[in-house]
Amino acid sequence: MTDTPAGNDIAPLDGNAAAGLLSEFFAVDITTATLTCGRCGAIEEIGATQVYGGSMGAIFRCIRCDNEVMRFTHTSGRFALDLRGAKCLFLKT
Amino acid sequence: MRATDAPAAVERPLSWVNAEVVELYEQSPKVRSLFLDVPSWPGHRAGQHLDLRLTDEAGYKAQRSYSIASAPRADRLELLVQRLDDGEASPYLTTELRPGDFFEIRGPIGGHFVWTSSMSGPLFLIAGGSGVAPLMAMLRHRAAAGSTIPAILLFSSRTLSDIIYREELDRLAAADSGLQIVHTLTGGSTSDWSGETGRIDRDMLAAAGFHPSEQPRIFVCGPASLIEDVARHLVVLGHEPRMVKTERFGPTGV
Repeated sequence: MTDTPAGNDIAPLDGNAAAGLLSEFFAVDITTATLTCGRCGAIEEIGATQVYGGSMGAIFRCIRCDNEVMRFTHTSGRFALDLRGAKCLFLKT
Repeated sequence: MRATDAPAAVERPLSWVNAEVVELYEQSPKVRSLFLDVPSWPGHRAGQHLDLRLTDEAGYKAQRSYSIASAPRADRLELLVQRLDDGEASPYLTTELRPGDFFEIRGPIGGHFVWTSSMSGPLFLIAGGSGVAPLMAMLRHRAAAGSTIPAILLFSSRTLSDIIYREELDRLAAADSGLQIVHTLTGGSTSDWSGETGRIDRDMLAAAGFHPSEQPRIFVCGPASLIEDVARHLVVLGHEPRMVKTERFGPTGV
């Protein structure tokens, strides 16, 4: 699916592509969860957001308004999930 | 390695396991199939991917994601690797790798870009180049399950010799009146070419695909430029955005 010259962290992928990374933090597949964008109110599956990946984590942006809905970082032996751009996260049971 | 195999549907923490390369096959001048034996593989759903990790002698690790092209119940996992000359992992995977080699994988991954034969609605698949991999898993799964859900694959390749799975796709379509394959060539064709030519555009999507009123499930996989054009055209044609699932490949990983 992906290959890249080292250091090229620019073009976005689909949120689905971050499923492996997110599995390091969540016990369930979070890419099929939905969230409400904190800016425009769009409800979207995390797998359908636009994801900008880098060596330290990933940034997830709303496909409708480009708001940063979720930021996941993995640095110095620690995972951090920043959800301030989202109103609500829904998980299927 | 795990001691026991878990059923495919069970959620479990992902762990890295060894995969053995059992066969390599050159699908086209730039794309190679890797067939892998993974004894602990728990099974997957069509459309899922896996992460692949290469470690060099100095301990440097490179990690990439690849879609799974093999059907959920196939004996061996199949991945398609396209050679990118300035890539980090693909030159190794497409030139140096040999049968008998091992690398690490974890998966299956991702429940968003997935189709199973129990889902309703016709299936409209749109691929660019090696982006056909997860869609091939869907078509193989559909055939293996004996599904009669109508399906169309619109497949963009550069030239005739770049078409991946051409013979297998012909065979699948010949044996199944519910399956249509439409090829388009973007890099020139010969006078006896009977398929489409040029990039996938709105007219091609309207002519080849299902009408929005049929509420097809649409999966698009390929380079980012193709995905963005196709997704925009599909919405203009009247398809609901939630019915359109996309998977860009390259140029970055996550």
